[in-house]
Amino acid sequence: MPREPERNKKGDRPAVDAGHAAAKAMSEAAVEPTTSSTEADSGEVFALMGRFESPAEITHACEALRDAGYKHFDAHTPFAVHGLEKAMGLPPSRLPFIVLGGGITGLVSAISFAYWSQAVDYPLVIGGKLAFSFQAFIPIFFELTVLFAAFATFFGMWGLNRLPTFFHPVHTYPSFHRASDDSFIVSVEARDPKFDMTKTRELLEKLGAREIGAVEA
Amino acid sequence: MSDLAMVQEDVPGKRVPLVLGKQDFHSVTESVAGIVEGPTPHKWKLLFVLALSILLILLGSLGRLVTKGIGVWGNNTTVGWAWDITGFVFWIGIGHAGTLISAILFLFRQKWRTSINRAAEAMTIFAVMSAGIYPLFHVGRVWFAYWLFPIPNQMGMWPNFKSPLFWDVCAVSTYATVSILFWYVGLVPDLATLRDRAKTKTRQIVYGIFALGWRGSHRHWLNYERAYGILAGLSAPLVLSVHTIVSFDFAVSIIPGWHTTIFPPYFVAGAIFSGFAMVMTLMIIARKAFGLERLITMRHLENMNKVIVATGTMVGYAYAVEFFIAWYSGNPYESFALMNRAFGPYKWAYWTMVSCNVIFPQLFWFKKVRTSIPAMFVISIIVNIGMWFERFVIIVTSLSRDFLPSSWAYFRPTIFDITTFFGTFGLFMTMFLLFLRFLPMVAIGEVKSVLPAADAHPHHDDDGHDAPGSEGMSKEPVHAA
Amino acid sequence: MSSKSGSGKTSKGAAATKPEADAPEPAEARKAKKSEAGAALGSSFKLSSEQSGKLMRVAGIVAGIGLVLGGAGFASDSKRFAFSYLVGFVWLATIGLGALFFVIVQHLVRAGWSVSPRRHLEWLSSGILPACAVLFVPVAVFAHTLYHHWMGEHAAHDELLRKKAAYLNPGFFYGRAVVFLVLWAGISLWFARTSRKQDETGDRSLSQKMQLASAPSMLVFGLSLTFAAFDWIMSLTPHWYSTIFGVYVFAGAATSSLSALVLVTIALQKAGLLKGVSTVEHRHDIGKLLFGFTVFWAYIAFSQFILIWYANLPEETVYYRDRSAGSWMVVSLALLFGHFIIPFLGLIARTAKRNITVLAGFAVWMLVMHWLDLYWMIMPTLDVGDAHFSWIDLGGLLLPAGVGAVAVARAATGGATYPLKDPRLAESMRLENA
Repeated sequence: MPREPERNKKGDRPAVDAGHAAAKAMSEAAVEPTTSSTEADSGEVFALMGRFESPAEITHACEALRDAGYKHFDAHTPFAVHGLEKAMGLPPSRLPFIVLGGGITGLVSAISFAYWSQAVDYPLVIGGKLAFSFQAFIPIFFELTVLFAAFATFFGMWGLNRLPTFFHPVHTYPSFHRASDDSFIVSVEARDPKFDMTKTRELLEKLGAREIGAVEA
Repeated sequence: MSDLAMVQEDVPGKRVPLVLGKQDFHSVTESVAGIVEGPTPHKWKLLFVLALSILLILLGSLGRLVTKGIGVWGNNTTVGWAWDITGFVFWIGIGHAGTLISAILFLFRQKWRTSINRAAEAMTIFAVMSAGIYPLFHVGRVWFAYWLFPIPNQMGMWPNFKSPLFWDVCAVSTYATVSILFWYVGLVPDLATLRDRAKTKTRQIVYGIFALGWRGSHRHWLNYERAYGILAGLSAPLVLSVHTIVSFDFAVSIIPGWHTTIFPPYFVAGAIFSGFAMVMTLMIIARKAFGLERLITMRHLENMNKVIVATGTMVGYAYAVEFFIAWYSGNPYESFALMNRAFGPYKWAYWTMVSCNVIFPQLFWFKKVRTSIPAMFVISIIVNIGMWFERFVIIVTSLSRDFLPSSWAYFRPTIFDITTFFGTFGLFMTMFLLFLRFLPMVAIGEVKSVLPAADAHPHHDDDGHDAPGSEGMSKEPVHAA
Repeated sequence: MSSKSGSGKTSKGAAATKPEADAPEPAEARKAKKSEAGAALGSSFKLSSEQSGKLMRVAGIVAGIGLVLGGAGFASDSKRFAFSYLVGFVWLATIGLGALFFVIVQHLVRAGWSVSPRRHLEWLSSGILPACAVLFVPVAVFAHTLYHHWMGEHAAHDELLRKKAAYLNPGFFYGRAVVFLVLWAGISLWFARTSRKQDETGDRSLSQKMQLASAPSMLVFGLSLTFAAFDWIMSLTPHWYSTIFGVYVFAGAATSSLSALVLVTIALQKAGLLKGVSTVEHRHDIGKLLFGFTVFWAYIAFSQFILIWYANLPEETVYYRDRSAGSWMVVSLALLFGHFIIPFLGLIARTAKRNITVLAGFAVWMLVMHWLDLYWMIMPTLDVGDAHFSWIDLGGLLLPAGVGAVAVARAATGGATYPLKDPRLAESMRLENA
């Protein structure tokens, strides 16, 4: 996805954004200080947020935002709402490739380590079997492949999600604690080219969002 | 509470709701997080003291073992493996049900698992910890236990990769690691819930650190769900491999009664069987103690009972095939080993095993038994006993009378065998009680996702005369009748 | 196997035949598609007489070729033909048995996703298994050739075989075979008929009846398959034994029947007979099962191999010695790669399982590999020391395969292409893989 030109006026201030490569975007923004009059008064706004009360509502809201051309918006939900990625127009996760890499690394290192330690460094003939009896090593090859793939999944997932990030501007939204309970919160980020304090707010109002409010970066 | 006693009939085409009562997202959060946040119940304290004292028995026995040596156990030159490895296989087997519930049932889209998977996964981890005690201490000089791993050491040697015992080290440590990763991934959103609800600074910081700043972003959920699915996909073959490799410990040898090709799938079935029995025992107590009957319903219990009878029957199949082939093979050692099991000096153990594992679970063919809490509680304990005896029978009977009659011996456990095994229950209970107290014992987010209200397209049935015969569309009723 | 409680993946227009790409779909488009699919229903849930005719013709041609080739094979080398025919017969029987397993297991777990695949499995099982009862006749006739080790005279002088005579004797062997074949034919026909009865009456209690019958049927299935595997294959080398053997044959039955199911599903979908009832989601699920059972086969095969290889006892290793001698080693390796590694790598990706060409290709591949697996189990008894593939082997396969195809075609042309009034049909139609 081509990166949208940065419109944040205070471009030199790094927004703590987990989703996108913020730092890089920011440095570019500093070179290209485009100013938008509507955002001038919004100051350090990070995003406009609103609260919904059901998966159906937030799915509808995300579809509307997507159809309105927004790119940098997010939904914060207490559980993975099925189908929301389509409503938001998100591409599928890239995690499987990382896992594949982890698995291959595990398998290759298991084979080479088994070969080196059992046949080169300290060959032992046991039970009349060859020093490198691959048949007997298959359990080890398997376990190491799984272990590495699991580590790749675990760390890959947190890496892709840029977590841990202990502070994020959305946490300052007053009702944000309900996003892990019974609320479905949407955040439309100010860096989105379509973002406009009034228009975005109107859109959210029209979609039925409650407690619409801006959070500061 | 009348709806709790009612047995939910699953009419074809109409699915019974997975949770009972008028549950909404908030009430699920309340009923699970409330357990963690409320004051410590006195009963919990009492149980914890009990668990700790049993744990002390374990520590004492291990202390004696370390200072005196392996001789404090009843193992002798003929029966070199006895209660220690029995206990090891017993606990590892119990752990398997947790992974089965969290991974395999996930892959099969069995949504009823959401109410029980968290506790079952916790059980897995604690069971593997308890299992680990045995090989760790059976090495004798426990401070050299790192020799088990392929770490460069002062001898300049590597572990023997051809040894099934080394496979076991790899399998069990991988299993423990992956189980912890999987469990933790599942916990993070719920830890965020606890963080967001925290009333004290300490709780906020502690839960906050472990929640990693989770903010429920759907961009995160997308990777998260994929990771969950992949971990499930990795865990499913992993869990099979673990008990398979445990069975290899015996089956690659030439000891009659150990060396038989059905061991791998048979051990796996047995592991799931015993694990489900343990989950039953724990869940029956926990749902009652914490009032979770609406989340862990009779339906959950009945499903688990069905798994128990199915895997119990598989185990029975393996017993039968083993016996048949022992005769069919015409191998005198093989048939002797099996006859010795059933009619030799350990026949009491053998018939305890058969009745506990094959006969009693068959009562679950009757719906009345499957849905009676006292009956299933008793049977689940019987199965646990039976599965311990299964390992004992396999291990000890085959060893006690091997090829050389002059070395035949009878194994008698010493007090330290008994206290070590008993003590591991203390370790298990202590850990499980800590888990119940400080972590959400039901996966809050996952249960919410199976509530009828979680459906983002709730109108899909209204206009749908999709199919002939669709008059009883399987839309889930909102609450119990 | 699958979706028991919780109505599968809810959400989304139920019937929408989703495009392969996961492009976001506006709600309107979804609705439109759904009504389209709804309209398509009811018009085409039966094979047209033209389609039936074509199907019967193709099956008939295969059977005809099989008959000619088989006859010629029998005439030119009756001993070889006997073994080749046994391979072909067991190949067909295991497809039917695997199908029966999945029919039973779906009732056992009250599966919701697989309503329409179940009908096709009913065709496979209720077509093939009764046919097998007839197709067993040549095996019975050839038995003295096939099982001469223990049926022949020298068995009386073999101490081991004398011990086994209570089990391995011709009378008991035939008797068991009759019991197995009657049970299989009976169970498969009962499930297929009861299911078809529901097409007319829509009676929910029929589903319950089948659920009730499924558990005992599963017991019968497991034991009969195990002992049939012992009798028909393992006893070819009567000194050898392996307790896992029944499970091994079952693993092959599962992969082959799922492969056949994939082909039936794709053919019907392409013919437009399952519009809205069976979609890419169902293919994906069947593909997942095929993938899973391919791994299961490898697991069982490895378990049997490693235990025998490691312990290195002469009475057991003989099985693998015969199968690694000369060019049999090539066949063994072909199985390792063809029955496991290649399909494992090929089917692991989600996109592969959802792609018609890839999935169909692997289904055909796995059917061939299943034949090779049985060939590898059976033929070393005849071709000691080296594998010799011959045209007679093709005759031995095509004869039972052709008869089986005619039987399945007959079952398929008889009624609806999916259970029209199954109470879980709607749930199955809503299937969606997350």
